[in-house]
This record gives sequence, structure tokens and C-alpha cells, in this order.
Amino acid sequence: MSNLTTQLRPLLTAAFIGLLLSTSSSLAEDAGNLYNTTFDINAGLRYFERQCSRCHGFDAKGSDETGAPDLTGRLSRASSEVGIFNIIRTGIPGTAMLPVAADVADAQVWQLVAYIGSLSTDPANIDLPGSIVSGAGLFTNKGACNSCHMIDGQGGRQGPDLSRVGERRSPEELLSDMLTPHTDVAPRWWTMRVTDNDGVVREGLRMNEDSFSLRIMDNDANLWSYPKNQIASFERLETSTMPSYSQTLSDSEVDDLVAYLFSLRKEN
Amino acid sequence: MNKFPLLLTGIFLSLPLQAQEDEFQTVITPAFSPVTWERLVNAENEPENWMMYSGTLDSQRYSRLDQINTNNVTELEMKWSYQIPVIDRAETVPTVVDGIMFITEAPSNLTAVDARTGRVYWRYDHELPEDLRICCGRNNRGVAILGETLFMSTLDAHLVAIDARTGNVLWDVEVADYEAGYSKTAAPLIVKDKVVTGIAGGEFGIRGFIDAYDPVTGDLEWRTYAIPGPGEPGNESWSGDSWKTGGAATWITGSYDPDLNLIYWGTGNPGPDWNGDVRLGDNLYSDSALALDGDTGEIAWHFQFTPHDVHDYDSIQVPILADIEYQGSTRKVMMWANRNAFFYTIDRETGEFLEGEAYASQTWAQGLDPNGRPIRVPGMAPTYEGILVSPPIVGATNWYSPGYSQQTGLFYVTSFDGEQEFFKRDEDYEEGERFTGGGGRYNQPMDAFHSSIRAINPATAEIEWEFPIMPRSSAGITTTAGGIVFTGSADGYFFALDAASGEELWHISLGARVHAAPMTYAIDGQQFVTIASGNVVYTFGLKEN
Repeated sequence: MSNLTTQLRPLLTAAFIGLLLSTSSSLAEDAGNLYNTTFDINAGLRYFERQCSRCHGFDAKGSDETGAPDLTGRLSRASSEVGIFNIIRTGIPGTAMLPVAADVADAQVWQLVAYIGSLSTDPANIDLPGSIVSGAGLFTNKGACNSCHMIDGQGGRQGPDLSRVGERRSPEELLSDMLTPHTDVAPRWWTMRVTDNDGVVREGLRMNEDSFSLRIMDNDANLWSYPKNQIASFERLETSTMPSYSQTLSDSEVDDLVAYLFSLRKEN
Repeated sequence: MNKFPLLLTGIFLSLPLQAQEDEFQTVITPAFSPVTWERLVNAENEPENWMMYSGTLDSQRYSRLDQINTNNVTELEMKWSYQIPVIDRAETVPTVVDGIMFITEAPSNLTAVDARTGRVYWRYDHELPEDLRICCGRNNRGVAILGETLFMSTLDAHLVAIDARTGNVLWDVEVADYEAGYSKTAAPLIVKDKVVTGIAGGEFGIRGFIDAYDPVTGDLEWRTYAIPGPGEPGNESWSGDSWKTGGAATWITGSYDPDLNLIYWGTGNPGPDWNGDVRLGDNLYSDSALALDGDTGEIAWHFQFTPHDVHDYDSIQVPILADIEYQGSTRKVMMWANRNAFFYTIDRETGEFLEGEAYASQTWAQGLDPNGRPIRVPGMAPTYEGILVSPPIVGATNWYSPGYSQQTGLFYVTSFDGEQEFFKRDEDYEEGERFTGGGGRYNQPMDAFHSSIRAINPATAEIEWEFPIMPRSSAGITTTAGGIVFTGSADGYFFALDAASGEELWHISLGARVHAAPMTYAIDGQQFVTIASGNVVYTFGLKEN
């Protein structure tokens, strides 16, 4: 950050907040966040860890315990920096999301906005080596990804719907998903092997499991629901049913798929 | 005893299932009669009512009602439900007095309903400022009652006295300054002629205390700080001025022994939670059980479960008091399954440690020494880079009420075998701001961990049985003379276990997280059991044939 920027910042901020107060939010949105340097993001991180992490988690991935949402992907309540700013400043009425204290400076709130923004990957800032068009072809042809995954209503049911996967997975994560699918498998995609009281074994994706029952989908997409106290046994396989593509696709083909998958978002 | 002045006008039903028990009788109209201190002391003899947060002053949560029992619990059906109008997470344990149920609601409201139908008599909405300082949600867990007055904590750190017949406010006092990080969520406890109450705010660098108020005037009668001031014993266990912002909040309801005239109350984590560098020493009386004189609030003894805690292992559990057979004699004990994963049996007259064992997964201590002090595993304190420790921040258990059965002599607790990465951060104290010094992060999905209801023998600290649940529970436990353990789970079930064996007897899916403890009561000879799930209060009873 240049010295000039540092000196100008208070003036710019005053002008910007003035805009925010006196004009519509679209104008404020146009002005953007003036506090988005690495320094600001780190300051926002420190503030987040102190003030927000109790509910949203130290990794900002949300918490079932508190009901606070994951902030690392697309945000359901705000689609712009101004929207995030306003939520932090005013809270969400009727929820545990309280406003920040009135004496917290707007600049500090903007730093927090910058940090939250840094948690999701803006596709405009990413230049991926792969080809989206080639990736789309690989998805349905050589990769046969569509035998298990749906995109926009087309494809199989044995894996997650990928229609908007670019909103929730970074390119690095998508790469890891394809090469090492057994790492960090979400419980929804574990496999359950159920043996009923007649000795019949049935295996399927773990749609849901709770204290007293479980539900699976078998390979033919049949849905089964079992009370736990009315089956002989059940076993969890905490691996993925997805194969690794490290041996079947070349590095450039994997790059193409990553580029394609990362391009899948709502606005497309 | 004139607690049922209209007894003769009451109508008594004698249901077939209840024919063998004549222990209780209830007037049905008009509802409600004043709750004297004598009634509270003898609450277990009045099992048709649930007159305080933990049912009785010893907090066993054991009801003598046995109409619903191990033989017929499968015949339970829903009798009514009450939808809380403010959407949030209900942690309430309703109070029932002579057919009226008092339900606290988020954020700090209170409703009186007909306990037979769930239909409303009155409602009190507490006005709150917009800039509350609360760590963990907009909760309220219940009321206390004395005479015809209800006493409720509020999120803006007030104590409010409300007329039980109308919902009118009788007085409203500020217990502490909410702008400095203080708040209140727990039900107060009546001790003779005083309203005893704690404070929350352990994540804001408060100085915890336990207060006693005059129930008529709202005047403060005594205050006992959970952190000793300069010149008082224990103050030396804090380096520098760290005692001033040391936390030790007192955010759950305690217990009382009328014979010993001692109040028992748990204290929370020292602050900042995860950075102990700025508060060297044992940090008394954080993470402790305090025994206070019932008249003056003076500390009679203390037992610190986790000296110099750096993992947020609050000792915010409800103390359960019972007289048990221990090594050949009857001992007055206090039982405590701590957030730090150890279970303790303590002599409640003296504070002497009797038994203690880990009841859940833990990696931070090698065990307990002969005085019950933990023997720490070196290198388990939070770091800047993060270090994996069990139990996680949420603890092996937490504030959810445990239970004890006079039939089985077992102690029951909701337990969680999990682990989490703990991080340390450097923070300066600023009034009204969070002061935690770090945080935590799970490295596995919640479904990968194990959770269960565990039954512990307090004479040996050994686990007698466990019932697995998933992914975890934040529900309390109630036991009954029907041989039942009632509890719930985070995946939205309410269920009944055999108190002796742990065998599942009955369950129902209520669809939303159970974040509260069940309670039981009776009207006109019919037993009911009530549980909050999500934003709904459900009441069950046996099918009427």
C-alpha cells in the first residue's frame, strides 16, 4: 500500500460512507470496498476469529451447533460487499446474528467484509490452465462423470449434483476431489451396508442416518429406510464410491475438467 | 399443610393404569396456589408439580410419578403442542404448579399455559436492547417461583419478577451491565427467602458472581464473586490484574441442601478461554464447584475441576446431590460429570474428593491425582498453529442437565466422544468485546464422532451401560419411578430408556433438535411428560382407552 493511499484513505472513507448514507446502495456498491488489501484482510481475519468464530467456526465453515451458516461459499443473504457490510452492521433481526457494537468503526467492518470476501474464490480473478469446452466434453465422454453426477437435470444419481459446484469448491478442491476422492468424504456419500434379520445384505449411499434409523439409496436408485432396532446389523464404509482419475485422465484432461466444473455456477 | 386449600372441591380420576398409586392428588380448579418454601423443600413429595428448573433442590431430576413406566411407555401419545412464536432454539424446562405451566422462550419471554391443553393464560415479552452481548444464542432455560411470583433471567442481564397469575411485572432489576458483556440465561434458584442467581458472559472478560435477591423488593442481599478480590484467598492464583477479567461465569442453575444449608453452584471457564499466558496460576474459582452458605453466600468450600483451564471446560453442570452407600457407609455426596470428560463423586459436606474417572474420550489429562486434581498431559495447550485435543470445546458434556435415579442409584449423562483443533490468539481486553484468545475447528464431520447416554455408578465412577446416539445430543435427562430415563437427541428424537439396563423402550421423531431437558407432571391423576424440540413444546401422556 502506498503512502499516498494511506493518507487518502480517511478522506476516501468519509466520502464513501457519505455516499452510502445519502445515496442508493447500488452507488455504494459501485464504489466497492476500499479496505481490501492483504493488511485489511488479515485485520478482518483477526476480528473474525475474535468476534465471529464462536458461531461461524474458526474456519468460517459454519456450525450445526449454533446454526450459523458457512461463509466460505456463496452467501444466501448477501450477494455484494455492501450487503455483507449491512448484515454485519445491522444484524439479522429475529436471529442470533446480532449487529456489531455501535462503536466499531465502519473501516473495521469493511476489513471484515474483505476477509469474508477472501474466503470464496471469485472466478474473475482466476486464470485456470484448462479448457472449459474440453472439460465439458470429458465430463460426458471419456470421464463418464455424468454416469453418477447430474448437471442441470442430466446425469446419474450416485454422486453429488454438480450444477453449481463452482460456487462451493475451489479449483484446488476440485482437483483433489478427482485425484484423491477418498479424502474427507462427506457423510452423505459414505456407503452403508445393512444386514436385515433374514440375513439379506443391502448396500447403498448413506442418504441419512440418525440415532434410531437410517436411509440408503442402492445402485438402482431404490430408496430404503430401516429402523436400527429391526435389522441384524449395519456397517459404515467411510470411503467414496468415486474412482480416482489419476490413472485414467492425463494432467491436462484433469485441468480441463477442473476448469469446466469451476465454471458451473448459478449465473451461467 | 394447606397447599391444596380447595382439595375437597377437586375431582379425582382413577385411571386403570394408575390404580396402584395414591401418592399424589391434584386439585383441578381453580388452578394454581402459592408456592411456599416448605413446598419447594418437599417438592419430591409433590410429583404432580415440577416447581423448579431441576425438579427438586437436590437437582436429581427424579420424579416419583410411575404411571408411565417400563411396561406401558410404548403407549405414549402426543396430548398437545405449543408453538413458541419467536423462532429460535428452545432450551426451556417448563415449570408446572397446580395445572399451570410456565414456559420461557427466546429471547427473554415467558408464557403461562394450561398444562392440560397448552392453551395460553398470559404472555410476557421482555423488551431488549438491540446491541446485546451474548456468546451463544438467544436462550432462556426456565424460571423460579416463590409465593405467587416468578423470577426470570433476561439476556440484558436483568432479573425480572413477574406475577404468576397475570404476567404483570412486579420488579425488574439490573444485575449487571450488558454493555460490559454480562447476560443472563439460567433459571434462578429459590433458597429460603432469597432468589439466588448467576451470570453469563465468560467470553467477554467479565468477573463472575452469584447473587441473592429479596423476592419482594428485588434488593440485592448478597453477592459472592467467583473470582476472589485482592486480599482474599485465591486472588494470588491469578497473575497481575488478570483476575479482573477472568470470567468464571455462573451461567447454569445450582442446587441446595436444606440440612447442610449449603448452596452448590458451578463456575465457568477462566478468560480469555484459550490463552492462559495472560492469567498464569490456577485461576480460582474458575471451573469449580462452590459451596456457599445459604444465608450469607460465604464460600464454605470449593473444588476446582480444571485448574488453569485453557480449553473452555466450564464446570457449568447442574450439581446432583444424593446420599449414597460408599465404602460401607452412607455419604452425602455431590455427583458431577464435567465438561472436561471426568466424572467426580465429592463429599458435599466437606468438598473431599471421593471418586473420579474419565467417562468420555479425553487426551488432555493422564488421570486424576488422589485429591481429584487432573494430571495434565504436557503439550496439550492451544497453539497458534492448532493442536488436536479431546474433548472438543463443546465438551464431553455441557450445560445439559444430568439425571439420577433413586431406584437404580445410577447417574445419567449425555456424553460426547469428540476432538477438535484448538488455537491460541493474542487479544487485549476491551470492555464489551469478546475476550477468548482463540478458538477451535473440527477436522472431521460430526457424524464421524461417537455420542451416547451413559449410566455411571457414583460409588465407583464406573460406566454401567451406554446407549449410542448420533451425531450427538444436547438434551438433558429426567428419570422417574416408572424405571425410565427420558431424554432427547440432536437429530430430533425424544426417547425413553430402561434406567436399569439402558435398553431402548420408546422413541418418537419430533423433527427438530432437542436442546432442553424433559420434565414430568400430573393433572387429575394423569401423568404427562414434556419436552421442547426446535421451537415447539410437546406434551405426551398415555393413550386413554
